[in-house]
Amino acid sequence: MSKRIKGFKGIMLSIVALSLVFTLAGCGNKASGDASKVVILTNADEEAVASMETALKGAGYEGQYIFQSLGTSELGGKLMAEGDKIEANLITMSSYFVESAQEKHDMFKDLSFTTNALDSYPAYYTPILANTGAIFVNTAVLKDKGLAMPTSIKDLTKPEFKGLVSVPNIMDSSTGWLLVQAIISQYGEEEGKTVLHDLVANVGPHLESSGSGPIKKVKAGEVAAGFGLRHQAVLAKEEGAPIDYVDPTEGNFSLTESVAVVKKDDATTELAMKMAETIIKDARKDLITNYPVALYKDETVSDIHKPAHSMKFVKPLTVELLEQHQQFFKENK
Amino acid sequence: MPKAKPEMRIIFIPIVLLFIVFLILPLAVLFIRSFETGQGYSVSNYLTILADQEIRESIGNSMKVSGVTALITTVLAFILAYSIHCTRIYRPLKSIIRTGILIPMLLPTITYGFAIMYSFGNQGLITKIFGRNLFEIYGFNGLLIGYVIYTLPSAFLLIHNSFKYIDKKFIVVSKLMGDGTLRSFMNTIVRPLWGTLGGAFVLSFILSFTDFGIPASVGGTYNVVATQLYQVMLGAIPDFNNGAVIAVLMLIPAAFGVVLLTYLEKFNFHYDKVTEIEMIRNKGRDSVLGLISSVILIGLLAVFAVMFVAPLMIGYPYDLTFTFKHFVDVFQSSDLINVYKNSLLVAGLTAIVGTIVAYAAAIINVRTPVKGKATFDILSMVTNTVPGMVLGLSYLLLFNNSSLKGTFTILVLCTLVHYFTTPYLMAKNSLAKMNPSWETTAELLGDSWLQTIRRVILPNSASTVIEMVSYYFINAMVTISGIIFLVTAQTSVVASKIKELQHFAKFNEVFVLSILIFCTNLIIKLLGDYLQKRQSNSR
Repeated sequence: MSKRIKGFKGIMLSIVALSLVFTLAGCGNKASGDASKVVILTNADEEAVASMETALKGAGYEGQYIFQSLGTSELGGKLMAEGDKIEANLITMSSYFVESAQEKHDMFKDLSFTTNALDSYPAYYTPILANTGAIFVNTAVLKDKGLAMPTSIKDLTKPEFKGLVSVPNIMDSSTGWLLVQAIISQYGEEEGKTVLHDLVANVGPHLESSGSGPIKKVKAGEVAAGFGLRHQAVLAKEEGAPIDYVDPTEGNFSLTESVAVVKKDDATTELAMKMAETIIKDARKDLITNYPVALYKDETVSDIHKPAHSMKFVKPLTVELLEQHQQFFKENK
Repeated sequence: MPKAKPEMRIIFIPIVLLFIVFLILPLAVLFIRSFETGQGYSVSNYLTILADQEIRESIGNSMKVSGVTALITTVLAFILAYSIHCTRIYRPLKSIIRTGILIPMLLPTITYGFAIMYSFGNQGLITKIFGRNLFEIYGFNGLLIGYVIYTLPSAFLLIHNSFKYIDKKFIVVSKLMGDGTLRSFMNTIVRPLWGTLGGAFVLSFILSFTDFGIPASVGGTYNVVATQLYQVMLGAIPDFNNGAVIAVLMLIPAAFGVVLLTYLEKFNFHYDKVTEIEMIRNKGRDSVLGLISSVILIGLLAVFAVMFVAPLMIGYPYDLTFTFKHFVDVFQSSDLINVYKNSLLVAGLTAIVGTIVAYAAAIINVRTPVKGKATFDILSMVTNTVPGMVLGLSYLLLFNNSSLKGTFTILVLCTLVHYFTTPYLMAKNSLAKMNPSWETTAELLGDSWLQTIRRVILPNSASTVIEMVSYYFINAMVTISGIIFLVTAQTSVVASKIKELQHFAKFNEVFVLSILIFCTNLIIKLLGDYLQKRQSNSR
């Protein structure tokens, strides 16, 4: 082989090497700079994420975390499938899912700070907020279509609401569970079947995968009424949008969402624990304005936010119960 | 053709290895996993899936909507190509149609759904203009519009290229011989294009059947295979084995389609020589076709108009005050800007590494006698067949516990393999056209093989290389189906971020990010075109 060829072999090899360097640069991004970043996976709404971010930034953690929002079912699926191999160091998630994931994988660390919560919770999580379900309407569309103000979920099954209702899907969203719970507890499984079936028939294409979906559709005037998170309707009304909210006679159910730290043996876990503490200590005063349910000592809420028909769940919430109710939904929709 | 040299093998082997690890192995694992059950291996997963009412329905839905899409797209694409080649429409209008039709290629499909929703929904832009709802957009209709917009550019390009090889002299001959309009049209246009039209149909079908972005954004409760696959893999109760089964089922029509495409090639006419002639004047024909083409194009672009309008208002559709707030917010959000940077990184790396790989593979295949060089032709057939979602899923199954999980590397490799076929064929075509004795001549003059490539081959195919880079970059920027299973919080790219924003229905952010992608791709495309022009002028 002549010298020249050797030289060119070198060039060729260096091209290969160069592409490797590029590829490694891709890896490097993960391996070096971001290693200490706390990855936070959450199923919370944007208002809640914003409150948590404000608290974290206020405590000087800016640039040390990455928030990623997922649907309840997507995040739930990840928790159940991956256990502590999940990418997250910190999660905020519907409490019943946190419990089921812990049961299956023993994947969360006990919290190392005191919380002063009103209720007692397991050592590995503490609630960040409680969500309450309610009906809301677009008053402009109601008037436009000549519809009467609904007072119950059952009202939304009337034929005149056909194609004008939006509700969250229990298959994807925990807010959808609030709806199904309200129907089952008020009407029982027998009559509940009919109510659910007629409701889903009226909903048609407006079955949303996210708990915030219905309010968006109601705000956009795509539909006249929806079932979703009460606080979002209260806020929309305060902003001056043509929105009103109704506490359905079937009752307002609530679900808590909690923060938990994933067991990983690295420095990031400690940082995640500190962030969890910051969220509970600093973000609550902001969270309670959007999710007006008192969860910790010395918290108060104004009367406008006290739902008229507050209800407690009959059975303890578990993923199994959710699956039962999902089945009920699937069979009767 | 020079003798096989060690440096040729040095190039050959790593590329083959790359495809073995990132194409053949993952697919093998996918097949194995689809038969895996708790009690050893059996077809029981397949039986479970096929017994599932919902999945059967979604396969049926996918077939139906893809079939209708393919039909509509083929007809529209043909009308457009015919207007450009066989009429005397005002020339600038022709070039507007030719470029305008390609615009959807610069956007991720997940954007289409939102654009459709905000155009035809109850409060949509187009609905407001017409003063009423034109039709129900959720489900079948929305998917159909989205898929047609998505597949039209590709189908058009295919037919447009074939038209170049049709000798239009025969149209005149057929007229002179006294054929009626219909008969003349059938014999001189449709017959020679028969294979291409079939190809356009099959291509549109496969693209629609395997796309994820459009059903993810506008599918409503109308289930299709792609959304089912996503739900089984990443939904409430993930089941990897069943996911693998659905992926294999998705692969079948795609594979069938590719076989069909190869078969249809046979029907293509090749005239010995093509004469350039100007068409006969026909005012009626020209004004009707000009109008139809313009309507198609305006319809296509009208759907995207809302994307540029909505984010410039405070709160579309209620508060229509002009504002830059949404743009400023996005640019101030370090989170969103990071995602955009990630997209640029992935697209840039894919473009560079992908072009090197595809070009090297083509050189080995066309201009060397290396044993086994035909492997690349087979590989390019395979990459052409495997839908992005299936490829991404197979990576998830194979690399989920490796150090590649959650890296940019895996995103780049997945995109590189997924889009390998077209750049490889581009390079092959351009290399095959060159004089085969160049390397030998250069060798006699004392240049090594690699020097010849650098001094002769590369400069002579520079414009192809530019085209390859821009093809890879633009597709890496807009793809979602391949990477949706592979992105993580830290490697999130714009297309997958849009899906996350959709969850909160943050349409302004969705549109602003889409505009970012669009502008980036437009710059790359224009830059590519300019460089190619300069290349051909400097010769």
